[in-house]
Amino acid sequence: MTDRPPLQAAPRASGFSRLLLRRSIAFRLIVAVLAVELLSAVLVVALSFGYERHIHFRAFDVMLHGRADSILGAVQDAEDPDDHVMLDQNDLRVPPEDIYEVWDEEGKLLGRSPNWPGTANAKTTETGAEKGRPPGPSGAPPPRGEMLRMDVNGTPYLVLRMRGSRTVDPGEHGGKLRTVTILYGSPTSHLWHAIRGAVEFYAVGSVVLLLVTGPLIAWLLHRGLLPLRQLAALAARVSVDAWHFSPPASARATPELAPLTHALESVLQRLERSFVQQRAFVSDAAHELKTAVAVQKSSLQLLSMKRRSAQEYQAGLERCLADSLRLESLVADMLALARAESATPEGAPQPRVDLAACVRHVVAQLETVAALRQVRVDPPGIAAAGAVETVNVSVPPEDCGLLVSNLLLNALQHSPAGAVVEVQLTAEDDLARLVISDQGDGIPAEALPHVFDRFYRGDPSRTRNTGGTGLGLAIARAIVNKAGGTISIASPAASNLPGRGTTVTVTLPVFSAA
Amino acid sequence: MRVLLVEDEVRLAENLAAALRDGPGFAVDWAADGEAGDEFARNACYDLIVLDLMLPRMDGQTVLKRLRARRDATPVLVLTAKDGSESIIALLNAGADDYLAKPFDLGELLARAKALIRRGKGAAHPTLSILDLEVNTLEQTVRRRGTAVDLSPTEYRVLEYLIHRPRVIVSKRELLEHLYDYNWEHHSNVIEVHVSNLRRKLDAAVPDAEPIVETMRGRGYRLAPGLAWDQQTPAAPDTGHRLDMERDQ
Repeated sequence: MTDRPPLQAAPRASGFSRLLLRRSIAFRLIVAVLAVELLSAVLVVALSFGYERHIHFRAFDVMLHGRADSILGAVQDAEDPDDHVMLDQNDLRVPPEDIYEVWDEEGKLLGRSPNWPGTANAKTTETGAEKGRPPGPSGAPPPRGEMLRMDVNGTPYLVLRMRGSRTVDPGEHGGKLRTVTILYGSPTSHLWHAIRGAVEFYAVGSVVLLLVTGPLIAWLLHRGLLPLRQLAALAARVSVDAWHFSPPASARATPELAPLTHALESVLQRLERSFVQQRAFVSDAAHELKTAVAVQKSSLQLLSMKRRSAQEYQAGLERCLADSLRLESLVADMLALARAESATPEGAPQPRVDLAACVRHVVAQLETVAALRQVRVDPPGIAAAGAVETVNVSVPPEDCGLLVSNLLLNALQHSPAGAVVEVQLTAEDDLARLVISDQGDGIPAEALPHVFDRFYRGDPSRTRNTGGTGLGLAIARAIVNKAGGTISIASPAASNLPGRGTTVTVTLPVFSAA
Repeated sequence: MRVLLVEDEVRLAENLAAALRDGPGFAVDWAADGEAGDEFARNACYDLIVLDLMLPRMDGQTVLKRLRARRDATPVLVLTAKDGSESIIALLNAGADDYLAKPFDLGELLARAKALIRRGKGAAHPTLSILDLEVNTLEQTVRRRGTAVDLSPTEYRVLEYLIHRPRVIVSKRELLEHLYDYNWEHHSNVIEVHVSNLRRKLDAAVPDAEPIVETMRGRGYRLAPGLAWDQQTPAAPDTGHRLDMERDQ
């Protein structure tokens, strides 16, 4: 109805699919195999042509010699006084299309076949100086004879020119040796016919083989690539919600696919683990945030539930402010954790900070907190870094402060009044070691593996009171891991006595400009 | 009415407890973790349990399952920060009566708490009436034959508890258990004073009224002794506190 060109898209689509087909491994393999087959077929045809020609012409040669010998057999004593020879053609049986001619040594024609055309257009087939010399009675042929090519009434002939000897009248005075020159020719057309037939057989055979093997190879390849397709189908089923990936046994057993299968498996496992962790973190974070918001909301609603005195409002507002501060620190900690856990962009300059200065600074900063809790930091303030003057580590400066203050605050918060928090900083060749130990109640053995988990609280009812967000140690670990260091926590498990304390050890590689 | 609050977040628990005490005038006990909550709930003297799900030591779901496994029918209002209908379905199937997602509205929480207590005691409407006595639990007002009766908060709470259980002998111990929280020292003579004041105020409200609160010496108190069983306004008999009754009688 309309004159829009509906077939416009079709060639493009087929071209696209052809391109896809050309890129497919199966297609390329099939094309390669067929090309090799075609090449070998051409070679076989060429070789068979050469071989057949050789065989047939040799047989022809032998046959010409045989027939010429039978012509020689027909040369007889002419029974004349000069002991001449003659050709007796009566008993000669040769195919009618063959031609022959016999000369004696004096150049006299002894006889020839009735269809002898003359040697006017004859050419020798031998190489060398003699090539092209017109044959004839003149000149002696070589002992084994020579081949001439002739054209008889448009039919190509091959003619053997040979010398034959015959002893005439052996009875009288020992006989006399007469030499004759025999020319014997036979048409070569049937030779070529036979050769063409043989070559045609090979050529047709090769084509048939190609036609049969093409689809067979395609089918075999399709079957052979089955493990790959199975693997692809199973891999395609993996999604964010369904991480399960069990590669087919066929792919596992295929040497070419085994490394790919293994890589896929391990990548998926790692991805799933980090995804589950991430999901757990989001869920935990949502819980914490919702709880914090619930606290604020309920504080405000409680305040507005009924008329209250100015003092009550004042106290309520202070509580609301405290709740806001808690929410603020929770958000700040979550952001700090996200920052510490995110990968450093490639090419970014390596961060660098003096850990000793950082420790001194943080200890000085937290001295008021320590005093408030009646805890002594040893060594205090300016001496906190011990004998270490400077030790550079590759941690962003703000992260370094966060790391040290998180660990120190933790120690202070878990210390009873009158206790001592020890801070030790040592620097060996290429390792800075920070040890912070307190004399608090320690951590139960079953909780130790979890203290670095996000939102983990050893004793929630207590730590919530102290205002911790449950992220401090997770942030510390993320910072240390990012800098390529280690962090460990120890609490003497043997005793359950109070005051056994907790020791956190951080090692960080010393900054090197390389 | 006495409420058990199981919530690990201190500030939220403080606010909830204050709201439950200030608003409907409930006695509130607070448990900061699952194990303590489970321990408290074993006393079986609560008219409602407000239960957080993410709790240290023992999660809320386990507390709930243990409660129901003891055949304790106390209404449970679950507080959850989890999204998703699956967990809510699992909760309701585990025996929760209602849930609220954090951050919730305090007014909604109080309304649901009151509704759950009411339902748990077989009353559908917030206004309860028996003979010529009418108690509006929303406004916390009491009328006898249309005349308002002015009661102290404690007297009102005693009446509110009794009107949910008409004609049943309620022991002093039961009243104490349901009207005062854990921190209160249980002096039974305090109850006696409040009940006698309540009786006096109710009877003085109208001329030549029949005594509506009966004291049964050594056994307890009974509301509306003259009421026949079939005149009872709250339709369903109380099934929620089977254990209390067995112990008290």
